[in-house]
Amino acid sequence: MTDRRRINGPPCGTRPPVFAPATGKAAESPKRTRRSNELRKIFLKTGLIPSAAGSAYLEIEPARPLLTKPLIARSSALKLTCTVHGPKPLPRSTPFSPNLLITTHVKYAPFAARRRRGYIRDASERDLGVHLETAIRGAIIAERWPKSALEVTVNVLEAEDDRWWGNVSGSYDASWGMMNVLAGCITATSAAIADARIDCLDLVVGGVAALVREEASQKTEGHAVNGSPILVLDPDPSEHRSIVSTCVIAYMPGRDEITELWLKGDALEVALSEDDKRSGHEALIDGAVDTARRLHSVLTAAVVESGERLFSAMTDGTWTKDDNGNVEMKI
Amino acid sequence: MSRHRVKALSYDDDFEDDYDSADPDEQERLEECTKEVLGQLQAGEPSVTASREEVQEALWHYYNDIQKSVDYLRGKKAKTVGKKQATSKTTTPKATAVPAHSVIPAFHPRSSDHFSAAEFFRDSPWLNVPLHRKTDILIEPLYPRCRLLGGAPPSDGKMSKLAALAAARKKKEGEKKELEKTKLLGAENNASQAATTERRNSTLTLLERLSVNGKEQRGSEKADTFLRKEALFTSRGNRGKIVIEKHNEVLGNCPKVEETCRPGQGEERTSKPVDLRALPSTFARTIVGSAMSHMHVELSHLSGRCFDVMEIYGQGLTEPFDFADSSPDDIVLKAQSSAKGLKSKQPTPKQAGNKGTQADLASGMKSLAVEEPVNIKRKNLDVLTEYRKSPWKNAANFVVIGHVDAGKSTLMGRLLADLNAVDNRTIEKYRREAEKIGKGSFALAWVLDQSSEERARGVTIDIATNKFETERTRFTILDAPGHRDFVPNMIAGTSQADFAVLVIDASTGNFESGLKGQTKEHALLCRSMGVQKVVVAVNKMDTVQWSKDRFNEIEQQTSSFLTAAGFLPKNISFVPCSGIQGDNVVRPSNDPNASWYPGRSLIEELETSEPFTHSLEKPLRLTIGDVFRGGAQNPLSISGRICAGNLQTGDQILIMPSGAKAIVKNLEVDGEPNDWAVAGQNVVLNLADIDPIHLHSGDVICIPTSPIQNTKAFTTKVLAFDHLMPMQVDIHHGRLHVPGRISRLVAVLDKGTGAVAKKRPKIISPGTVARIVVEMEKPVPLEAPARIVLRAAGGTIAAGLLE
Repeated sequence: MTDRRRINGPPCGTRPPVFAPATGKAAESPKRTRRSNELRKIFLKTGLIPSAAGSAYLEIEPARPLLTKPLIARSSALKLTCTVHGPKPLPRSTPFSPNLLITTHVKYAPFAARRRRGYIRDASERDLGVHLETAIRGAIIAERWPKSALEVTVNVLEAEDDRWWGNVSGSYDASWGMMNVLAGCITATSAAIADARIDCLDLVVGGVAALVREEASQKTEGHAVNGSPILVLDPDPSEHRSIVSTCVIAYMPGRDEITELWLKGDALEVALSEDDKRSGHEALIDGAVDTARRLHSVLTAAVVESGERLFSAMTDGTWTKDDNGNVEMKI
Repeated sequence: MSRHRVKALSYDDDFEDDYDSADPDEQERLEECTKEVLGQLQAGEPSVTASREEVQEALWHYYNDIQKSVDYLRGKKAKTVGKKQATSKTTTPKATAVPAHSVIPAFHPRSSDHFSAAEFFRDSPWLNVPLHRKTDILIEPLYPRCRLLGGAPPSDGKMSKLAALAAARKKKEGEKKELEKTKLLGAENNASQAATTERRNSTLTLLERLSVNGKEQRGSEKADTFLRKEALFTSRGNRGKIVIEKHNEVLGNCPKVEETCRPGQGEERTSKPVDLRALPSTFARTIVGSAMSHMHVELSHLSGRCFDVMEIYGQGLTEPFDFADSSPDDIVLKAQSSAKGLKSKQPTPKQAGNKGTQADLASGMKSLAVEEPVNIKRKNLDVLTEYRKSPWKNAANFVVIGHVDAGKSTLMGRLLADLNAVDNRTIEKYRREAEKIGKGSFALAWVLDQSSEERARGVTIDIATNKFETERTRFTILDAPGHRDFVPNMIAGTSQADFAVLVIDASTGNFESGLKGQTKEHALLCRSMGVQKVVVAVNKMDTVQWSKDRFNEIEQQTSSFLTAAGFLPKNISFVPCSGIQGDNVVRPSNDPNASWYPGRSLIEELETSEPFTHSLEKPLRLTIGDVFRGGAQNPLSISGRICAGNLQTGDQILIMPSGAKAIVKNLEVDGEPNDWAVAGQNVVLNLADIDPIHLHSGDVICIPTSPIQNTKAFTTKVLAFDHLMPMQVDIHHGRLHVPGRISRLVAVLDKGTGAVAKKRPKIISPGTVARIVVEMEKPVPLEAPARIVLRAAGGTIAAGLLE
């Protein structure tokens, strides 16, 4: 099935070519200037799309300001919107369901990453959708809405790259950018679901941690033994030349529960620094949980803002109570 | 994973993990603290003694916080034993409140004391418990498990790094507090007081740091530079701080974030939670739009370098997209469905309410029509003047009639071959092919009989037309079929003819059978169709050795018959000839037996025919002979002979009986393109602006100003060839033939005067003239001077003229 409604652009990248300077100095790859446990700041806002029951916009800007040559050493960023439609009644043809049926769609905009995407969802996007569904399914109290459906749509406007575009693809390559996108999806969806006033056990936060092996680790991270990977929170794949393993979790801080865990890469054999006896997996998960727990504050703030908006709408009289008459807000 | 402790949570102190074997340095510190506590307990105002286990227990729960442990132990020892034991889990109903799934004894510390409830309540009276022995029974709230979903079993192994670190931190803070206290009191001299900086106010913390990460000593200096940098950062980012802090007040339960992942790295950081909320980027602000107006708009770190497009072009002009409206895709889909005609199914209220847009739509649809506009220029010629000026030769159509196998087609083939209208190679080819199937004598007939069926059967089936020219006249041959089954076709041919060539087989027996058969019928039909001149070609004279007697006999019998049929004697001429040999057709016969005939050959006889006049001024009438596709440029063409009137390119014509109109795109007269045509000419009209379903052979073409009328019944004066009574008949008029019924016999007329001889006859006998009324099943275009033929049961029963 082809998309005949639009004039599709070329399938290749759309960013302008950057030519190496004549002086022979190669383009400088971005470096992580944050400390390994420092997170990037997140902008999260709910209620952008009035036609949806709930919506959220999430944005992670690169931690570093743009340098003088913005085209060359640009770290990737993450921008995505999430819309939640529902709970709405199931169509008549669907068999009875005692629970809320959740469908998730994750779609990259064609221009989201350096590799241009099609308009039809590809395998990785469907994969992200499944992961996202698992993540939020554990949080939603689904039995409160029998015979209903919930549609979650995430539109990724700008995604993190899998590697810095200047690097040739190496053996360490995997779709690392997907992991960050998934974490963002989880957080944004959680905010949108809360914005849609759907009962949840807790707000789910996505967190990412990675084990990276840095060539120049002696300079930046004085403590790290050369060769043994170090744990970084909230990694930006374009800033690291070789990522050993990455982990995404969906975490409910209030209950200390994980609803979704996704590990990529080989962290089993990895030995951390001498004093750290944890296995690679443990370290990754601990790191991801820590990330998630810290990001929880951002999510809470967004939900509070959503609640304030509802409250002001109620006091203005522009907002009426729903059918059940319960306008409970408990932040 | 499951073993780390979460200090940030409000209830995390209530959880307990089992760690049996701690690190050696942990043990060491515990030992140190135990000594300290014991010392403090003894030195304190009410001197209390406590067992080593108790002290360690307390230290464990207070994370090695010496001061708290001391306080706790002092209070504990001061209280009665019973009070302390009352909180024990065995007696409280707390256990029932713990849900079944909560398998971890989460709340109470691990206790080594044994006590029995019976002993505890031994001295207290029933229902009269002394007040001091009463206790507040705390029903433990339903805390969630602090575990993974289906997490690891709780009782395995040692304290994790995380927990150890948390414990260490707690202790450090406690010591800090204690230090301050001691500083205030001035009671104790601690070596750590020597430290001057706020950060390094405790040697213990420093030591601790060193002990935790021995190799960090070099790194600590670096960490300091880090910190300084961070301070710079924060002072730079101070502008947004007000909002952040205000926000933090709102966030009551904002969890305290603990640095846990890399021991020794976040050590220097304060426990104040780092605000991770970013300000919207330029892009985000365009999306969020006015919704952000209430927020404190702060330039993000990006904005310094990126100029704001919205600010430049004026914020009022660009609005954030209103998602409440239908999306561009929806608009396209709606338009597509309406174009497919689904609009009636889903009427949109907007369109229904607005008639103006509907009219626009209609006009739009009209302009969408695929038809290209027909733009044919009419030259407005005066056709009659043109006709008179034109150097046209006389034109004559003649129909070749006669009994079957009289040699009509062969004679015409010979005529064409000898006049070089057909080249010799074609004739030779036909001859070879005809000989191959054993019909060598039919070769010439194949010039006219083109279809395979006609060639296989050796008879003509449909009218074949061909043209040839002499010096004075251009002739069109209409070769009529002689077989009795195809008389309707012969009628069609005859209706276009000016005169007739009657071919008679001179061979013995055949002439006689012909005279009874189609020779007679054809002649009668010809006459009744209005043909006045007939050339009788006595064919196959070679078979009777050019016998003059035979010719005279045929001439006599035929002429008497033809005169009886109504032909004037001066319009009848006889030519003996032989089609197969070509004698007396174009060239005079070179047979010595034929020397008795000095007269004209067939072609010469044809040329004697005078030019025929046609009513050029009358309104146009043209009966369609054939409808065909003239080629890619002329998708629809008709052929026929103009009966009356004239025609030019660009004329609008009306086709009856369908009543459809068409435009003459261009026309051909006798195979040559021309701008105009007049009555008597055989034309091909290439039409435009009409659907082919409106065109049938037999339809009449006229001009819209004076159209021919469709009739269902007509009165006609007929000459009966057979008995006529009210009966089913076929009405033939040129190509047109429709079934009908003789509905009324009006009168029998006198042949000479035309006066009524008898009214309302019951039956009309053959050979009489009568006036009858004929009704047809469907309306057909017929008007007054039309000549019609009535046939029934395969024979002609009457021919007549419409009145």
